[in-house]
Amino acid sequence: MREVSIGQYYPAESFTHKLDARIKLLLTIAFIVMVFLVQSLYAYIAVAAFILIATLVSKIPILKVLKSVKAIIFIVIVMAIINLFTNREGTVLWSWWKVVITVEGIVTAVKLALRLIFLVMGTALLTYTTTPMALTDGMESLMYPLSLIKVPTHDIAIIMSIALRFIPILMEEVDKIMMAQKARGACFDRGGLLKRAKALLPVLIPLFVSAFRRADELALALDARCYNATPNRTKYKQPRLTWRDLVATIFTAVFIVLVIAINNNFWGLY
Amino acid sequence: MQIKVEDLKYTYSPKSPFEKVALEGITFTVNEGDTIGIIGSTGSGKSTLSQHFNALIRVSHGKLYVGDMELHAKKVDLGKLRQSVGMLFQYPEYQLFADTVLQDVCFGPLNFGMSKEEAESRAKEAIELVGLNFDEVKDKSPFELSGGQKRRVAIAGIIASMPQVLVLDEPTAGLDPRGKRDILELVTKLKKSYCKTVIMISHNMDEIAEYCNRVIVLNNGKLLYDTTPRELFKDVKALEGTGLTPPHTAKIASLLANNGIIFSDLPLTVDEFVKAIKGGIAL
Ligand SMILES: Nc1ncnc2c1ncn2[C@@H]1O[C@H](COP(=O)(O)OP(=O)(O)O)[C@@H](O)[C@H]1O
Ligand SMILES: [Mg+2]
Repeated sequence: MREVSIGQYYPAESFTHKLDARIKLLLTIAFIVMVFLVQSLYAYIAVAAFILIATLVSKIPILKVLKSVKAIIFIVIVMAIINLFTNREGTVLWSWWKVVITVEGIVTAVKLALRLIFLVMGTALLTYTTTPMALTDGMESLMYPLSLIKVPTHDIAIIMSIALRFIPILMEEVDKIMMAQKARGACFDRGGLLKRAKALLPVLIPLFVSAFRRADELALALDARCYNATPNRTKYKQPRLTWRDLVATIFTAVFIVLVIAINNNFWGLY
Repeated sequence: MQIKVEDLKYTYSPKSPFEKVALEGITFTVNEGDTIGIIGSTGSGKSTLSQHFNALIRVSHGKLYVGDMELHAKKVDLGKLRQSVGMLFQYPEYQLFADTVLQDVCFGPLNFGMSKEEAESRAKEAIELVGLNFDEVKDKSPFELSGGQKRRVAIAGIIASMPQVLVLDEPTAGLDPRGKRDILELVTKLKKSYCKTVIMISHNMDEIAEYCNRVIVLNNGKLLYDTTPRELFKDVKALEGTGLTPPHTAKIASLLANNGIIFSDLPLTVDEFVKAIKGGIAL
Protein backbone atom coordinates (compact mmCIF):
# COMPACT_ATOMS: atom_id res chain seq x y z
CA MET A 1 0.00 0.00 0.00
CA ARG A 2 2.79 2.36 0.90
CA GLU A 3 4.33 2.00 -2.53
CA VAL A 4 1.43 3.50 -4.48
CA SER A 5 1.82 7.01 -3.13
CA ILE A 6 2.62 9.22 -6.13
CA GLY A 7 5.65 11.40 -5.75
CA GLN A 8 6.38 10.79 -2.12
CA TYR A 9 9.70 12.25 -1.00
CA TYR A 10 12.59 10.04 -2.03
CA PRO A 11 15.67 10.70 0.10
CA ALA A 12 19.02 10.94 -1.67
CA GLU A 13 22.12 13.12 -1.63
CA SER A 14 21.90 15.07 -4.86
CA PHE A 15 22.23 18.48 -6.44
CA THR A 16 18.47 18.77 -6.87
CA HIS A 17 17.70 17.72 -3.30
CA LYS A 18 19.88 20.55 -2.04
CA LEU A 19 18.19 23.24 -4.15
CA ASP A 20 16.05 25.85 -2.46
CA ALA A 21 12.39 24.78 -2.52
CA ARG A 22 11.28 28.18 -3.82
CA ILE A 23 13.61 27.95 -6.80
CA LYS A 24 12.42 24.41 -7.51
CA LEU A 25 8.81 25.56 -7.38
CA LEU A 26 9.43 28.46 -9.75
CA LEU A 27 11.42 26.29 -12.13
CA THR A 28 8.67 23.67 -12.11
CA ILE A 29 6.10 26.33 -12.95
CA ALA A 30 8.31 27.55 -15.79
CA PHE A 31 8.63 23.94 -16.97
CA ILE A 32 4.85 23.47 -16.93
CA VAL A 33 4.29 26.65 -18.95
CA MET A 34 6.93 25.51 -21.42
CA VAL A 35 5.30 22.11 -21.86
CA PHE A 36 1.99 23.80 -22.62
CA LEU A 37 3.52 26.09 -25.22
CA VAL A 38 5.46 23.46 -27.07
CA GLN A 39 3.85 22.31 -30.33
CA SER A 40 6.43 20.52 -32.42
CA LEU A 41 7.32 16.89 -31.92
CA TYR A 42 11.03 17.72 -32.16
CA ALA A 43 10.71 20.06 -29.20
CA TYR A 44 9.08 17.21 -27.28
CA ILE A 45 12.24 15.20 -27.74
CA ALA A 46 14.21 18.08 -26.23
CA VAL A 47 11.79 18.20 -23.27
CA ALA A 48 12.23 14.46 -22.76
CA ALA A 49 16.00 14.98 -22.76
CA PHE A 50 15.58 17.72 -20.16
CA ILE A 51 13.58 15.41 -17.89
CA LEU A 52 16.15 12.66 -18.34
CA ILE A 53 19.01 14.97 -17.37
CA ALA A 54 17.08 16.34 -14.38
CA THR A 55 16.31 12.79 -13.21
CA LEU A 56 19.94 11.72 -13.50
CA VAL A 57 21.10 14.81 -11.60
CA SER A 58 18.51 14.09 -8.87
CA LYS A 59 19.75 10.50 -8.44
CA ILE A 60 16.17 9.23 -8.57
CA PRO A 61 15.85 5.81 -10.26
CA ILE A 62 14.34 6.37 -13.70
CA LEU A 63 11.95 3.51 -13.05
CA LYS A 64 10.58 5.42 -10.08
CA VAL A 65 9.83 8.47 -12.22
CA LEU A 66 8.17 6.27 -14.82
CA LYS A 67 6.08 4.68 -12.08
CA SER A 68 4.60 8.07 -11.23
CA VAL A 69 3.14 8.04 -14.75
CA LYS A 70 1.45 4.72 -14.08
CA ALA A 71 -1.00 6.43 -11.74
CA ILE A 72 -2.41 8.63 -14.53
CA ILE A 73 -1.96 6.31 -17.49
CA PHE A 74 -5.69 5.62 -17.57
CA ILE A 75 -6.54 9.32 -17.88
CA VAL A 76 -3.86 9.73 -20.54
CA ILE A 77 -5.28 6.89 -22.63
CA VAL A 78 -8.86 8.11 -22.34
CA MET A 79 -7.89 11.67 -23.26
CA ALA A 80 -5.82 10.45 -26.19
CA ILE A 81 -8.68 8.28 -27.49
CA ILE A 82 -11.18 11.13 -27.22
CA ASN A 83 -8.77 13.32 -29.15
CA LEU A 84 -8.23 10.64 -31.73
CA PHE A 85 -11.91 10.31 -32.57
CA THR A 86 -13.03 13.93 -32.30
CA ASN A 87 -10.48 15.33 -34.70
CA ARG A 88 -12.22 15.28 -38.08
CA GLU A 89 -10.03 17.53 -40.19
CA GLY A 90 -7.03 16.59 -42.26
CA THR A 91 -6.00 13.49 -44.17
CA VAL A 92 -8.45 10.70 -43.53
CA LEU A 93 -6.64 7.50 -42.71
CA TRP A 94 -9.49 5.24 -41.88
CA SER A 95 -13.23 5.74 -41.62
CA TRP A 96 -16.18 3.60 -40.80
CA TRP A 97 -19.75 4.79 -40.29
CA LYS A 98 -19.32 8.04 -38.28
CA VAL A 99 -15.88 7.22 -36.95
CA VAL A 100 -13.07 9.01 -38.71
CA ILE A 101 -9.41 8.72 -37.90
CA THR A 102 -7.10 11.29 -39.41
CA VAL A 103 -3.33 11.61 -39.43
CA GLU A 104 -3.67 14.93 -37.62
CA GLY A 105 -5.88 13.26 -35.03
CA ILE A 106 -3.19 10.71 -34.28
CA VAL A 107 -0.54 13.41 -34.01
CA THR A 108 -2.62 15.53 -31.59
CA ALA A 109 -3.47 12.48 -29.51
CA VAL A 110 0.18 11.53 -29.18
CA LYS A 111 1.13 15.11 -28.37
CA LEU A 112 -1.53 15.38 -25.71
CA ALA A 113 -0.47 12.11 -24.10
CA LEU A 114 3.18 13.20 -24.12
CA ARG A 115 2.27 16.56 -22.65
CA LEU A 116 0.39 14.98 -19.74
CA ILE A 117 3.17 12.49 -19.12
CA PHE A 118 5.81 15.24 -19.11
CA LEU A 119 3.73 17.30 -16.68
CA VAL A 120 3.42 14.45 -14.23
CA MET A 121 7.10 13.54 -14.54
CA GLY A 122 8.19 17.11 -13.96
CA THR A 123 6.05 17.61 -10.89
CA ALA A 124 6.96 14.16 -9.58
CA LEU A 125 10.60 15.19 -9.73
CA LEU A 126 9.73 18.19 -7.58
CA THR A 127 7.98 16.14 -4.91
CA TYR A 128 10.56 13.34 -5.01
CA THR A 129 13.36 15.76 -4.24
CA THR A 130 11.63 18.12 -1.82
CA THR A 131 10.30 17.26 1.63
CA PRO A 132 6.65 18.26 2.19
CA MET A 133 7.82 20.66 4.90
CA ALA A 134 10.22 22.45 2.56
CA LEU A 135 7.58 22.51 -0.13
CA THR A 136 4.95 24.24 1.98
CA ASP A 137 7.51 26.63 3.45
CA GLY A 138 8.54 27.49 -0.07
CA MET A 139 4.94 28.05 -1.14
CA GLU A 140 4.28 30.26 1.85
CA SER A 141 7.32 32.30 1.02
CA LEU A 142 6.28 32.64 -2.64
CA MET A 143 2.77 33.65 -1.59
CA TYR A 144 4.13 36.54 0.47
CA PRO A 145 2.70 39.27 -1.79
CA LEU A 146 -0.78 37.85 -1.21
CA SER A 147 -0.44 38.31 2.55
CA LEU A 148 -0.20 42.07 1.92
CA ILE A 149 -3.81 42.00 0.75
CA LYS A 150 -4.83 40.05 3.86
CA VAL A 151 -4.87 36.56 2.35
CA PRO A 152 -4.09 34.19 5.27
CA THR A 153 -1.04 32.69 3.56
CA HIS A 154 0.33 31.19 6.75
CA ASP A 155 -2.90 29.34 7.46
CA ILE A 156 -2.99 28.09 3.88
CA ALA A 157 0.56 26.81 4.27
CA ILE A 158 -0.28 25.10 7.57
CA ILE A 159 -3.35 23.45 6.05
CA MET A 160 -1.25 22.19 3.16
CA SER A 161 1.51 20.85 5.36
CA ILE A 162 -0.99 19.11 7.64
CA ALA A 163 -2.67 17.52 4.65
CA LEU A 164 0.66 16.36 3.25
CA ARG A 165 1.84 15.18 6.65
CA PHE A 166 -1.26 13.07 7.09
CA ILE A 167 -1.03 11.22 3.79
CA PRO A 168 1.52 8.67 5.07
CA ILE A 169 -0.31 8.39 8.40
CA LEU A 170 -3.60 7.60 6.68
CA MET A 171 -1.82 5.19 4.34
CA GLU A 172 -0.50 3.34 7.34
CA GLU A 173 -3.97 3.38 8.81
CA VAL A 174 -5.43 1.89 5.62
CA ASP A 175 -2.76 -0.80 5.83
CA LYS A 176 -3.67 -1.65 9.40
CA ILE A 177 -7.42 -1.67 8.86
CA MET A 178 -7.08 -3.79 5.72
CA MET A 179 -4.98 -6.29 7.62
CA ALA A 180 -7.49 -6.47 10.44
CA GLN A 181 -10.38 -7.05 8.00
CA LYS A 182 -8.38 -9.55 5.96
CA ALA A 183 -7.75 -11.46 9.18
CA ARG A 184 -11.55 -11.59 9.50
CA GLY A 185 -11.80 -13.14 6.06
CA ALA A 186 -12.40 -10.02 3.97
CA CYS A 187 -11.19 -10.25 0.39
CA PHE A 188 -10.38 -7.15 -1.63
CA ASP A 189 -9.23 -8.59 -4.92
CA ARG A 190 -11.97 -10.91 -6.02
CA GLY A 191 -15.27 -10.43 -7.84
CA GLY A 192 -16.55 -7.76 -10.18
CA LEU A 193 -16.16 -4.03 -9.86
CA LEU A 194 -19.30 -3.62 -7.75
CA LYS A 195 -18.33 -6.41 -5.40
CA ARG A 196 -14.88 -4.98 -4.96
CA ALA A 197 -16.22 -1.51 -4.26
CA LYS A 198 -18.53 -2.99 -1.66
CA ALA A 199 -15.68 -4.93 -0.09
CA LEU A 200 -13.95 -1.62 0.58
CA LEU A 201 -16.69 -0.40 2.92
CA PRO A 202 -15.23 -2.19 5.96
CA VAL A 203 -12.03 -0.26 5.28
CA LEU A 204 -13.47 3.13 4.38
CA ILE A 205 -15.81 3.48 7.35
CA PRO A 206 -13.16 2.89 10.03
CA LEU A 207 -10.80 5.12 8.03
CA PHE A 208 -13.24 8.04 8.06
CA VAL A 209 -14.02 7.52 11.72
CA SER A 210 -10.36 7.60 12.52
CA ALA A 211 -9.65 10.60 10.26
CA PHE A 212 -12.32 12.63 12.08
CA ARG A 213 -10.97 11.52 15.43
CA ARG A 214 -7.47 12.58 14.41
CA ALA A 215 -8.73 15.94 13.12
CA ASP A 216 -10.45 16.57 16.46
CA GLU A 217 -7.34 15.67 18.40
CA LEU A 218 -5.15 17.82 16.19
CA ALA A 219 -7.45 20.84 16.53
CA LEU A 220 -7.33 20.42 20.29
CA ALA A 221 -3.55 20.13 20.26
CA LEU A 222 -3.22 23.27 18.11
CA ASP A 223 -5.49 25.17 20.48
CA ALA A 224 -3.62 23.91 23.52
CA ARG A 225 -0.41 25.31 22.06
CA CYS A 226 -2.00 28.70 21.40
CA TYR A 227 -1.91 28.45 17.63
CA ASN A 228 -2.41 31.92 16.13
CA ALA A 229 -1.69 33.71 19.38
CA THR A 230 1.34 35.42 17.87
CA PRO A 231 0.80 37.14 14.52
CA ASN A 232 4.39 37.14 13.24
CA ARG A 233 5.99 33.76 13.61
CA THR A 234 9.62 33.44 12.68
CA LYS A 235 11.34 30.41 11.21
CA TYR A 236 13.96 28.27 12.85
CA LYS A 237 15.60 27.52 9.52
CA GLN A 238 15.93 30.51 7.21
CA PRO A 239 16.22 29.33 3.61
CA ARG A 240 19.20 30.75 1.72
CA LEU A 241 19.98 30.79 -1.98
CA THR A 242 23.27 29.20 -3.01
CA TRP A 243 25.35 28.78 -6.16
CA ARG A 244 23.33 25.64 -6.90
CA ASP A 245 20.15 27.68 -7.28
CA LEU A 246 21.90 30.00 -9.69
CA VAL A 247 23.26 27.10 -11.76
CA ALA A 248 19.87 25.37 -11.87
CA THR A 249 18.10 28.57 -12.90
CA ILE A 250 20.59 29.33 -15.67
CA PHE A 251 20.50 25.74 -16.93
CA THR A 252 16.70 25.67 -17.02
CA ALA A 253 16.50 29.10 -18.65
CA VAL A 254 18.94 28.05 -21.36
CA PHE A 255 16.98 24.88 -21.92
CA ILE A 256 13.67 26.69 -22.18
CA VAL A 257 15.14 29.07 -24.77
CA LEU A 258 16.53 26.06 -26.63
CA VAL A 259 13.20 24.26 -26.62
CA ILE A 260 11.34 27.34 -27.81
CA ALA A 261 13.92 27.80 -30.58
CA ILE A 262 13.45 24.20 -31.71
CA ASN A 263 9.70 24.59 -31.43
CA ASN A 264 9.72 27.60 -33.75
CA ASN A 265 12.21 25.97 -36.08
CA PHE A 266 14.72 28.77 -35.48
CA TRP A 267 17.58 26.87 -37.08
CA GLY A 268 15.48 25.45 -39.88
CA LEU A 269 16.17 21.88 -38.85
CA TYR A 270 12.96 20.57 -40.26
CA MET B 1 -2.56 -27.09 15.63
CA GLN B 2 1.18 -27.02 15.38
CA ILE B 3 3.06 -24.08 13.90
CA LYS B 4 6.56 -24.65 12.59
CA VAL B 5 8.80 -21.76 11.62
CA GLU B 6 12.00 -22.56 9.74
CA ASP B 7 14.64 -19.99 8.86
CA LEU B 8 12.07 -17.24 8.28
CA LYS B 9 13.47 -14.00 6.86
CA TYR B 10 11.66 -10.83 5.90
CA THR B 11 12.73 -7.47 4.49
CA TYR B 12 10.44 -4.46 4.08
CA SER B 13 10.74 -2.49 0.79
CA PRO B 14 13.72 -4.47 -0.50
CA LYS B 15 16.15 -2.70 -2.85
CA SER B 16 15.08 0.83 -1.98
CA PRO B 17 16.40 3.49 0.40
CA PHE B 18 13.63 2.43 2.79
CA GLU B 19 14.90 -1.16 2.92
CA LYS B 20 14.53 -2.60 6.40
CA VAL B 21 15.45 -6.11 7.46
CA ALA B 22 12.78 -7.08 9.99
CA LEU B 23 13.41 -10.82 10.48
CA GLU B 24 16.68 -12.67 10.08
CA GLY B 25 16.40 -16.43 10.06
CA ILE B 26 13.87 -17.28 12.76
CA THR B 27 13.35 -20.95 13.65
CA PHE B 28 11.04 -22.31 16.33
CA THR B 29 7.99 -24.48 16.84
CA VAL B 30 4.71 -23.80 18.59
CA ASN B 31 3.01 -26.99 19.79
CA GLU B 32 -0.70 -27.45 20.18
CA GLY B 33 -1.72 -26.36 23.64
CA ASP B 34 1.14 -23.89 24.04
CA THR B 35 0.65 -20.38 25.27
CA ILE B 36 3.72 -18.83 23.82
CA GLY B 37 4.88 -15.32 24.56
CA ILE B 38 6.83 -13.29 22.04
CA ILE B 39 8.76 -10.49 23.65
CA GLY B 40 11.31 -7.96 22.47
CA SER B 41 11.76 -4.22 22.40
CA THR B 42 9.85 -2.01 19.93
CA GLY B 43 10.96 -2.67 16.36
CA SER B 44 12.42 -6.09 17.10
CA GLY B 45 10.09 -7.74 14.56
CA LYS B 46 7.35 -9.21 16.76
CA SER B 47 4.45 -7.87 14.69
CA THR B 48 6.16 -8.81 11.41
CA LEU B 49 6.62 -12.36 12.67
CA SER B 50 3.07 -12.71 13.93
CA GLN B 51 1.54 -11.37 10.72
CA HIS B 52 3.14 -14.29 8.90
CA PHE B 53 1.00 -16.74 10.83
CA ASN B 54 -2.15 -15.98 8.89
CA ALA B 55 -0.51 -14.87 5.66
CA LEU B 56 -1.09 -11.16 6.10
CA ILE B 57 2.57 -11.12 5.17
CA ARG B 58 3.55 -13.82 2.71
CA VAL B 59 6.64 -15.89 3.36
CA SER B 60 9.47 -14.52 1.23
CA HIS B 61 12.24 -16.72 2.56
CA GLY B 62 12.18 -19.83 4.73
CA LYS B 63 9.38 -22.22 5.59
CA LEU B 64 6.24 -21.89 7.65
CA TYR B 65 3.83 -24.72 8.47
CA VAL B 66 0.50 -24.04 10.18
CA GLY B 67 -1.17 -27.37 10.89
CA ASP B 68 -1.21 -29.18 7.55
CA MET B 69 -0.96 -25.96 5.54
CA GLU B 70 2.29 -24.82 3.98
CA LEU B 71 2.38 -21.05 3.97
CA HIS B 72 5.55 -20.88 1.88
CA ALA B 73 3.75 -22.66 -0.96
CA LYS B 74 2.57 -20.60 -3.91
CA LYS B 75 -1.12 -21.21 -3.29
CA VAL B 76 -2.57 -21.09 0.19
CA ASP B 77 -6.22 -21.54 1.11
CA LEU B 78 -6.52 -18.17 2.78
CA GLY B 79 -10.10 -18.69 3.93
CA LYS B 80 -9.30 -21.90 5.74
CA LEU B 81 -6.08 -20.48 7.17
CA ARG B 82 -7.60 -17.26 8.46
CA GLN B 83 -10.50 -19.05 10.02
CA SER B 84 -8.16 -21.33 11.96
CA VAL B 85 -5.73 -18.58 12.95
CA GLY B 86 -7.48 -15.64 14.57
CA MET B 87 -5.57 -12.40 14.91
CA LEU B 88 -6.21 -9.71 17.46
CA PHE B 89 -4.45 -6.43 16.71
CA GLN B 90 -3.57 -3.58 18.96
CA TYR B 91 -6.59 -1.29 19.33
CA PRO B 92 -8.98 -3.72 17.62
CA GLU B 93 -11.87 -1.30 18.20
CA TYR B 94 -10.64 0.67 15.17
CA GLN B 95 -11.81 -2.12 12.85
CA LEU B 96 -15.52 -1.79 13.71
CA PHE B 97 -17.60 -0.67 10.75
CA ALA B 98 -21.05 -2.24 10.52
CA ASP B 99 -24.42 -0.67 11.37
CA THR B 100 -25.06 -2.90 14.34
CA VAL B 101 -22.94 -4.86 16.77
CA LEU B 102 -24.49 -8.12 15.59
CA GLN B 103 -23.61 -7.43 11.94
CA ASP B 104 -20.08 -6.52 12.86
CA VAL B 105 -19.50 -9.67 14.85
CA CYS B 106 -21.06 -11.76 12.04
CA PHE B 107 -18.66 -10.29 9.46
CA GLY B 108 -15.94 -12.88 10.05
CA PRO B 109 -18.15 -15.99 10.24
CA LEU B 110 -20.06 -14.93 7.10
CA ASN B 111 -16.82 -14.32 5.22
CA PHE B 112 -15.72 -17.81 6.15
CA GLY B 113 -18.80 -19.21 4.50
CA MET B 114 -21.13 -19.92 7.41
CA SER B 115 -24.88 -19.62 7.01
CA LYS B 116 -26.64 -16.60 8.46
CA GLU B 117 -28.23 -18.59 11.29
CA GLU B 118 -24.98 -20.25 12.20
CA ALA B 119 -23.09 -16.94 12.11
CA GLU B 120 -25.66 -15.32 14.38
CA SER B 121 -25.59 -18.10 16.90
CA ARG B 122 -21.77 -17.96 16.92
CA ALA B 123 -21.97 -14.19 17.33
CA LYS B 124 -24.32 -14.53 20.28
CA GLU B 125 -21.97 -16.98 21.93
CA ALA B 126 -18.96 -14.74 21.31
CA ILE B 127 -20.65 -11.58 22.56
CA GLU B 128 -21.66 -13.30 25.75
CA LEU B 129 -18.20 -14.78 26.15
CA VAL B 130 -16.61 -11.33 26.16
CA GLY B 131 -18.97 -10.31 28.94
CA LEU B 132 -21.59 -8.22 27.14
CA ASN B 133 -25.34 -8.62 27.32
CA PHE B 134 -26.35 -9.88 23.86
CA ASP B 135 -29.92 -8.57 23.80
CA GLU B 136 -28.80 -5.19 25.07
CA VAL B 137 -26.05 -4.50 22.54
CA LYS B 138 -26.92 -6.49 19.45
CA ASP B 139 -28.90 -3.74 17.70
CA LYS B 140 -26.79 -0.84 18.84
CA SER B 141 -24.34 0.92 16.55
CA PRO B 142 -20.81 -0.08 17.53
CA PHE B 143 -19.88 3.60 17.51
CA GLU B 144 -22.20 4.51 20.37
CA LEU B 145 -20.57 2.08 22.79
CA SER B 146 -17.98 3.01 25.38
CA GLY B 147 -14.29 2.40 24.65
CA GLY B 148 -14.11 -0.77 26.71
CA GLN B 149 -17.31 -2.13 25.16
CA LYS B 150 -16.02 -1.39 21.65
CA ARG B 151 -12.92 -3.43 22.31
CA ARG B 152 -15.02 -6.31 23.62
CA VAL B 153 -17.19 -6.24 20.50
CA ALA B 154 -14.08 -6.24 18.32
CA ILE B 155 -12.70 -9.23 20.17
CA ALA B 156 -16.05 -11.00 19.83
CA GLY B 157 -15.79 -10.37 16.08
CA ILE B 158 -12.59 -12.39 16.04
CA ILE B 159 -13.51 -15.28 18.30
CA ALA B 160 -16.88 -15.69 16.59
CA SER B 161 -15.07 -17.52 13.76
CA MET B 162 -13.85 -20.03 16.36
CA PRO B 163 -10.13 -19.97 15.56
CA GLN B 164 -7.99 -22.85 16.78
CA VAL B 165 -4.99 -20.57 17.14
CA LEU B 166 -5.21 -17.06 18.51
CA VAL B 167 -2.48 -14.51 17.83
CA LEU B 168 -2.63 -11.47 20.09
CA ASP B 169 -0.48 -8.45 19.21
CA GLU B 170 -0.14 -6.43 22.40
CA PRO B 171 -3.74 -7.11 23.39
CA THR B 172 -3.63 -5.18 26.64
CA ALA B 173 -1.93 -1.99 25.41
CA GLY B 174 -3.71 1.10 26.63
CA LEU B 175 -6.08 -0.72 28.99
CA ASP B 176 -6.54 -0.23 32.71
CA PRO B 177 -5.49 -3.10 35.03
CA ARG B 178 -9.06 -4.37 35.19
CA GLY B 179 -9.41 -4.41 31.39
CA LYS B 180 -6.08 -6.22 31.06
CA ARG B 181 -7.16 -8.91 33.48
CA ASP B 182 -10.49 -9.34 31.68
CA ILE B 183 -8.80 -9.97 28.34
CA LEU B 184 -6.31 -12.45 29.77
CA GLU B 185 -9.05 -14.27 31.68
CA LEU B 186 -10.96 -14.50 28.40
CA VAL B 187 -7.92 -16.05 26.72
CA THR B 188 -7.67 -18.57 29.54
CA LYS B 189 -11.36 -19.40 29.06
CA LEU B 190 -10.91 -19.84 25.29
CA LYS B 191 -7.97 -22.15 25.84
CA LYS B 192 -10.24 -24.49 27.74
CA SER B 193 -12.57 -24.82 24.75
CA TYR B 194 -11.70 -24.60 21.05
CA CYS B 195 -8.71 -22.31 20.95
CA LYS B 196 -5.92 -24.50 22.25
CA THR B 197 -2.92 -22.56 21.03
CA VAL B 198 -2.23 -18.94 21.90
CA ILE B 199 0.58 -16.72 20.65
CA MET B 200 0.84 -13.58 22.69
CA ILE B 201 2.99 -10.54 22.01
CA SER B 202 3.42 -8.42 25.07
CA HIS B 203 5.59 -5.82 26.74
CA ASN B 204 4.28 -6.78 30.12
CA MET B 205 6.59 -9.38 31.64
CA ASP B 206 4.25 -10.01 34.56
CA GLU B 207 1.61 -11.15 32.06
CA ILE B 208 4.11 -13.33 30.21
CA ALA B 209 5.33 -14.86 33.46
CA GLU B 210 1.84 -15.63 34.61
CA TYR B 211 0.16 -16.91 31.44
CA CYS B 212 2.80 -18.35 29.11
CA ASN B 213 4.40 -21.75 29.28
CA ARG B 214 7.03 -20.75 26.73
CA VAL B 215 8.65 -17.56 25.65
CA ILE B 216 10.50 -16.37 22.55
CA VAL B 217 12.78 -13.35 22.80
CA LEU B 218 13.44 -11.35 19.64
CA ASN B 219 16.15 -8.76 19.32
CA ASN B 220 16.71 -6.79 16.09
CA GLY B 221 14.95 -9.45 14.03
CA LYS B 222 16.95 -12.31 15.50
CA LEU B 223 15.76 -15.02 17.84
CA LEU B 224 17.66 -14.59 21.09
CA TYR B 225 16.01 -17.15 23.41
CA ASP B 226 13.44 -19.91 23.06
CA THR B 227 12.81 -21.14 26.57
CA THR B 228 10.39 -21.14 29.51
CA PRO B 229 9.65 -17.96 31.45
CA ARG B 230 11.13 -19.55 34.58
CA GLU B 231 14.44 -20.22 32.86
CA LEU B 232 14.49 -16.84 31.17
CA PHE B 233 13.76 -14.75 34.23
CA LYS B 234 16.00 -16.81 36.52
CA ASP B 235 18.96 -14.92 35.22
CA VAL B 236 17.92 -11.29 35.53
CA LYS B 237 21.10 -10.18 33.73
CA ALA B 238 20.30 -12.22 30.60
CA LEU B 239 17.71 -9.67 29.52
CA GLU B 240 20.15 -6.77 29.65
CA GLY B 241 20.76 -5.24 26.24
CA THR B 242 17.36 -6.30 24.92
CA GLY B 243 15.60 -3.33 26.52
CA LEU B 244 13.35 -5.63 28.53
CA THR B 245 12.90 -5.77 32.27
CA PRO B 246 12.05 -8.97 34.16
CA PRO B 247 8.73 -9.32 36.02
CA HIS B 248 8.45 -7.87 39.50
CA THR B 249 8.55 -11.27 41.19
CA ALA B 250 11.87 -12.11 39.53
CA LYS B 251 13.30 -8.72 40.45
CA ILE B 252 12.36 -9.08 44.11
CA ALA B 253 13.66 -12.66 44.16
CA SER B 254 16.99 -11.51 42.76
CA LEU B 255 17.22 -8.73 45.36
CA LEU B 256 16.45 -11.24 48.09
CA ALA B 257 19.08 -13.59 46.69
CA ASN B 258 21.68 -10.84 47.04
CA ASN B 259 20.87 -10.83 50.73
CA GLY B 260 21.21 -14.54 51.15
CA ILE B 261 17.57 -15.54 50.78
CA ILE B 262 17.61 -18.00 47.93
CA PHE B 263 14.57 -19.67 46.39
CA SER B 264 15.05 -23.23 45.24
CA ASP B 265 12.84 -22.52 42.23
CA LEU B 266 12.10 -19.02 40.95
CA PRO B 267 8.51 -18.02 41.83
CA LEU B 268 6.91 -16.39 38.79
CA THR B 269 3.45 -15.31 39.88
CA VAL B 270 2.42 -13.48 43.00
CA ASP B 271 0.65 -16.63 44.25
CA GLU B 272 3.77 -18.72 43.85
CA PHE B 273 5.78 -16.04 45.56
CA VAL B 274 3.49 -15.91 48.59
CA LYS B 275 3.47 -19.68 48.80
CA ALA B 276 7.24 -19.83 48.71
CA ILE B 277 7.60 -17.22 51.43
CA LYS B 278 4.99 -18.92 53.61
CA GLY B 279 6.71 -22.26 53.10
CA GLY B 280 9.77 -20.62 54.64
CA ILE B 281 12.28 -21.49 51.98
CA ALA B 282 15.89 -21.30 52.96
CA LEU B 283 15.14 -18.92 55.82
N1 LIG C 1 5.07 -1.63 6.76
C1 LIG C 1 6.36 -1.43 7.05
N2 LIG C 1 7.21 -0.86 6.15
C2 LIG C 1 8.50 -0.70 6.42
N3 LIG C 1 9.08 -1.03 7.56
C3 LIG C 1 8.32 -1.58 8.51
C4 LIG C 1 6.92 -1.82 8.32
N4 LIG C 1 6.41 -2.38 9.44
C5 LIG C 1 7.44 -2.50 10.29
N5 LIG C 1 8.60 -2.03 9.74
C6 LIG C 1 9.94 -2.03 10.36
O1 LIG C 1 10.30 -3.37 10.65
C7 LIG C 1 10.87 -3.49 11.94
C8 LIG C 1 10.09 -4.47 12.77
O2 LIG C 1 8.82 -3.92 13.03
P1 LIG C 1 7.70 -4.66 13.88
O3 LIG C 1 7.58 -6.06 13.40
O4 LIG C 1 6.47 -3.82 13.81
O5 LIG C 1 8.32 -4.63 15.34
P2 LIG C 1 7.60 -4.78 16.76
O6 LIG C 1 6.22 -5.28 16.56
O7 LIG C 1 8.48 -5.73 17.50
O8 LIG C 1 7.62 -3.44 17.40
C9 LIG C 1 10.88 -2.10 12.53
O9 LIG C 1 12.17 -1.57 12.40
C10 LIG C 1 9.90 -1.31 11.70
O10 LIG C 1 10.33 0.01 11.57
MG1 LIG D 1 4.36 -4.35 17.06
